[in-house]
Amino acid sequence: MSEPVALIVDDSAVNRMLLARHLGSMGIAAREAGDGKAALAALQTSSEDVAVVLLDVMMPEMDGYETLAAIKSDESLRQLPVIMISGIDELATVARCIELGAADFLAKPFDPVILAARVRASLADKRLRDAEAAHAAAQAELLGTIERQKSELARFLSPQVAALISSPEGEQMLAGHRREATAVFCDLRGFTAFSDSAEPEEVLGLLREYHAMMGASINEHGGTLEHFAGDGMMVFFNDPVLQPDHVARAVRMAVAMRDRFAPLAAKWSKLGFELGLGIGIATGYATLGRIGFEGRYDYGMVGTAVIVASRLSSAAEGGQILLNPRAHAAVEVIVFVEPVGELQLKGFARPIPAVNVVGYRSPGDPIDSDTELATTAADL
Amino acid sequence: MSDQPPVLDQQVLDALRDSVGGDDAFVADLVATYLTEGAAHMAEMDAAAAAGDAAAIVRPAHSMKSSSAALGAARMSSISRDIEFAGREGRAEGLAASVQEARAAWEATVAELRARGLAG
Repeated sequence: MSEPVALIVDDSAVNRMLLARHLGSMGIAAREAGDGKAALAALQTSSEDVAVVLLDVMMPEMDGYETLAAIKSDESLRQLPVIMISGIDELATVARCIELGAADFLAKPFDPVILAARVRASLADKRLRDAEAAHAAAQAELLGTIERQKSELARFLSPQVAALISSPEGEQMLAGHRREATAVFCDLRGFTAFSDSAEPEEVLGLLREYHAMMGASINEHGGTLEHFAGDGMMVFFNDPVLQPDHVARAVRMAVAMRDRFAPLAAKWSKLGFELGLGIGIATGYATLGRIGFEGRYDYGMVGTAVIVASRLSSAAEGGQILLNPRAHAAVEVIVFVEPVGELQLKGFARPIPAVNVVGYRSPGDPIDSDTELATTAADL
Repeated sequence: MSDQPPVLDQQVLDALRDSVGGDDAFVADLVATYLTEGAAHMAEMDAAAAAGDAAAIVRPAHSMKSSSAALGAARMSSISRDIEFAGREGRAEGLAASVQEARAAWEATVAELRARGLAG
């Protein structure tokens, strides 16, 4: 910051000279103006280094009161401390000036000691205000950066995970915790053959359509997308946001995916590609939190249910939504299922009795997403 | 004239010199500025009095009052103050006499400053 400069506004050249001299001995350079108009002109051209204004009350052209009013009504000058200079006869005016925002007053003839004390106090005050303003600006910039990072983060992470990272309890949640959760795996039947024979542009085009559709279904049902790799995706429910109906949400999302996938599959079928969507859902206790290594972490779910869901997804035929017994138990009142037998899943000693979701028990069932939305709206 | 303030108040002058660390050159500059400025204010007061313009006399009288007080020119300051107040109240009568009195005080002040070696 440049050296402080005081603007002396007084119609008496003798007074200006004296004040400038006293300020000079305090290490404060002075600029001079003979009346209020000249003072405002000086402030408008170069107010940045002016740290204090010494303003005479009685002046030709524009007096001290008017000048002060002009300074205080100017957004960029308002914070500038103004010390009124007054003769003994002008104390009534000085009182009005203090009410209008003058920092202090100085009686003529000047006492250099009092002048020094008042000017120093005003300068300290201004430094404090400047420091506060600089701090507030830095704070605002920091907050802006954080907001930008948050919105950028939200584009890469599941919205729930992005919110978690920015929340006060985030660190604790990231560190890892155990709870019941529902894992959903899905991937495409016939995708490997398709990507082998199709043009790369076709493969990417298909994936774009597929991901857009899946993404919409995930968001609509509040799933946390853990990862996707090519045509495969893993989504979980009940974490980091608690969802008492997490199994129902998972099943509802899977049904929505299957419904939306059908027209896409029909379109690709016309192009000669037979693709089917297989989904596996498993509910169970799992550990959730930050998984990975320094430099690259994911928010993930680890547990048997994850592996079961993955195996069920692999075992599912196109159009099937396979549930493990625990997931089935939670939704059996709302969906029709058909048994698909005891599945011998890789890595599991005992076979798992799995069921396929056929459809909702009733179209107006509370599980139906439209109905639920309506209910929520009514509750609000 | 014995109830009038002194032409020059030595105490004020001494305090002024002390406040600038005994810098006589600065005091001499200040006095020179005062004499130049004061002569102009006197001329303005003369003109205003001649025109019977009470409003026009306020400003030069005010500046003269203020500068004179700073230098310890007590009589000049006091008379200027009376003229300033008369002017503010719009009292044009007696203005010429007051300014004549001011002129006499001004000349006495200049003479006194010269006598003390403060003015060239």
